[in-house]
Amino acid sequence: MSDKALEIGSLETEMNRGFLHILALALLEKDMYGYAMVKHIEGLGYKVEENTLYPLLRRLEKNGWIASKWDLSEDRPRKFYAITAEGRALRAALLDVWKNQNRVLEETVKETAHV
Amino acid sequence: MSDKLEAYLEEISHFLSGRAERQEILSEIRSHIMEKAAEGPGEFGDAAVDRAIAAFGPARRVAERYLEDRPIIAPAYRRYLFRYTSFLFAIHAALTVLAVVFKKDFVIFPFLFMPKLGVIEALMYLPPAFLTDLGVVALVLYFITQSGKDIKLPWPKFAVDLDEVKPPKKGFWPSRIATAVGAIVMLAITDLALYLFARHGSIFFVNLDWHDPRPLFTPAAGRYVSLVVIAMFAASTMALLVKLITRSRWVDVASNAVSLALIGLLLRQPLHGLFAPEIAGRFSPRFATWIGYTILVTLLFIALMTTIELIKGIVVISRRKLAAKAR
Repeated sequence: MSDKALEIGSLETEMNRGFLHILALALLEKDMYGYAMVKHIEGLGYKVEENTLYPLLRRLEKNGWIASKWDLSEDRPRKFYAITAEGRALRAALLDVWKNQNRVLEETVKETAHV
Repeated sequence: MSDKLEAYLEEISHFLSGRAERQEILSEIRSHIMEKAAEGPGEFGDAAVDRAIAAFGPARRVAERYLEDRPIIAPAYRRYLFRYTSFLFAIHAALTVLAVVFKKDFVIFPFLFMPKLGVIEALMYLPPAFLTDLGVVALVLYFITQSGKDIKLPWPKFAVDLDEVKPPKKGFWPSRIATAVGAIVMLAITDLALYLFARHGSIFFVNLDWHDPRPLFTPAAGRYVSLVVIAMFAASTMALLVKLITRSRWVDVASNAVSLALIGLLLRQPLHGLFAPEIAGRFSPRFATWIGYTILVTLLFIALMTTIELIKGIVVISRRKLAAKAR
């Protein structure tokens, strides 16, 4: 892998931290298990590192923004996650932040495009 | 179930040792890998599990993702580790020199016990002392980090700053030429000293008469002090010659360590009976005592400066390594 690709990869990981928080909170409006989340995100044309998602879900759960329960009814045990009321409030606040960041970035790019 | 999956989970478990939710984490990972292996291309089997494990990443990296929120020492405090260790070790080294010179025990209960030491014992004592200082500082920073409190620690400055971490600005040839000239001069001085020592048994004289030099010190003291000083010249020459090949800071560190050991040997020479009788006879006892203390203070000052340079060298090397890792 080239140095530039490595650099972009490392910066993308940094950017993903915040993005994945919002994405996970948005996805979990419907109960989902980890692997299904990975597949769903991949289906949307985005790649998420599998080993990044689970620690993130753990942090969200620790803070009370999502809740989890094991489903043992199928052949394979699956841990389902769902958003909580606090998680919904956080998601709304984070989406506002993200929209504002997006607006600032778009306007800045537009401005500098004419320079 | 795949033995490889169990081995993989076992390895992650090892890295997560001490975390209460370890079993839960392992169950999550097991569930994910089994799920992925079942849905992947081809038949469900060991090969599919192996592919799922490879996609999930190396065990250590996986465990680190869970440990990111709990560093042993917070990143902001990491630079304090070597600064505080250097500071503590400088005190330790200075007390060691005092223990050697004054041949006394030092006790600062309950923090320090410095037994009476000889030069060789002191040299054996310093490396473990450095490791102890490093351990103590690391432990304090660990507790501060784990407390989660935002504690502002003082930042002692003693001439080791970021600028010194940068490579020297001098060009290749000017610095090499200066080093080569220094090496030639030191080689000439060392050779002259060796010649004088071989011919007269000392290199310290009170007159410049080539054929009839009058020694400054008694024969025994002159021999001992001359040998140590010649060894110092030789060490400096060697360091300069090595510097022609490499610009590594380790050369300075090694050179300073050798100098410190040799200064320690010089400090072992008793001041009483140092000067040759015809020289000592010219001094009043009070003046002789004053000269003795002047020599002692000068040697201690040189030892202190060498110790500071030695510690600076070690700190700069450590910080360069940390800076290279961070890039």
